Amino acid sequence: MVQKVYQVHEIQQALELLHQHTHQAKLLAGGTDLIIKMREGHVNPAVLIDISSMDKTRIIEVQGQEIHIGSTATFSEIQEHPLFQKDLGAIAAAARSVGSPQIRNRATIGGNICNASPAADLLPPLLAMEAMTVLRSKETSRLLPLSDFLVGKEKTALKSEEMLERVWFRKLEDRSGLGFSKLGIRNALAIARLSMAVYLKLDATGRCLEARVASGALGLTAQRENEVEAFLQQQVIDETIIDQAAQVLEKTTAQRLAGRSTLPFKRQAVQGVFRDALSQALKTSLRREQS
Amino acid sequence: MKTIQLTVNGKEMTLTVEADQRLLDVLRNNLKLTGTKEGCGEGECGACTVIMDGAIVNSCLVMAFQADGKSIQTIEALDSEDGSLHPIQQAFLEEGAVQCGFCTPGMVLSAKALLDKNPTPSKADIQEGISGNLCRCTGYHKIVEAVEKAADTMKEGGESHGTARRGTK
Repeated sequence: MVQKVYQVHEIQQALELLHQHTHQAKLLAGGTDLIIKMREGHVNPAVLIDISSMDKTRIIEVQGQEIHIGSTATFSEIQEHPLFQKDLGAIAAAARSVGSPQIRNRATIGGNICNASPAADLLPPLLAMEAMTVLRSKETSRLLPLSDFLVGKEKTALKSEEMLERVWFRKLEDRSGLGFSKLGIRNALAIARLSMAVYLKLDATGRCLEARVASGALGLTAQRENEVEAFLQQQVIDETIIDQAAQVLEKTTAQRLAGRSTLPFKRQAVQGVFRDALSQALKTSLRREQS
Repeated sequence: MKTIQLTVNGKEMTLTVEADQRLLDVLRNNLKLTGTKEGCGEGECGACTVIMDGAIVNSCLVMAFQADGKSIQTIEALDSEDGSLHPIQQAFLEEGAVQCGFCTPGMVLSAKALLDKNPTPSKADIQEGISGNLCRCTGYHKIVEAVEKAADTMKEGGESHGTARRGTK
């Protein structure tokens, strides 16, 4: 039963309260997951700290070669931000693919990351961009790759006195691109049945220097797909290679989801979602070569 | 218990709310603004939609204490002193966009938030704008047509309706 509630406007206030109450406290931002879980009795914090009015962690900005997104930035803000309208449109597409306008106006990137749902929609593009998380506590601050932050289904490396302040990733370089694709059931509120993000970096001859492929809802947590990444390395990405890469991913899926009822569906679906994300990434990479 | 200050339909007020009350509970139970409906209680149906600081939210997914310092508009904000309807409400009636009416307050507020931001929406914009509001009766076509009609009316001078801009941030 919630006994004490706080609405904070500065991160220091939030960190001080977390320091005092540690595991008894829950940070509340958009509330689109937490309020449901509390009402269902799955989560029973004694203390709620509302950070949804904390403006300084709402930033979306370029710092040198990096793009920083504050943890209380909402999906709507990400979807509409000028930084994500062109080459990084995959980030906006991932944000737009979530829930309804009402949900996107409240739900935050920090909530999406810290709830660590296997189907969290922003995680695949952030993983493909090798995002770093900035974790703050009253006393310390640490930097952790997002891939290390996500440790399992709804499990993260966040300590009870810590909060996620922001994530950042490097801007796209020349001849690189990012794609995102998702398969959901109903558009407005679909939880990803399957989602995928692909980052590509090509050399001057069109050969793949680096491929980073990340999946959502294809295991216990959103994750990088190392086998298909290795396969794409040094390849000139044409139809044949795309077919073969899709088969590599199908094999990975079959192994990972062996015995699961969703396997017959997902082993097919994963190929289409992957092709879609890959072709977007390829298109952006080639466009950024010309510009 | 927590004391919060907020603006509801243009009126500033100070309220004492329970720690576990949602904005929806406060609107309906404390303020008797029962135009805001509770449907699913988990952010799927949009019947509890209100406009908070200019953006639509599900009031079942906002804790009351989170509304401290915010400006809220409910469907009652569209009431006018002379009893005339807001152009969106009028269009809903004329186009047959209301059947059982349970989704209507939320639907109208989603349409209002959309038209406040984009007075000339495409059909796709309207469909997206109301995509967080479920209607089990109409099949949505009539609702989309009503919003199109309201947009036309408001462009032609319907904005002068006294409450069209009231409380919009």
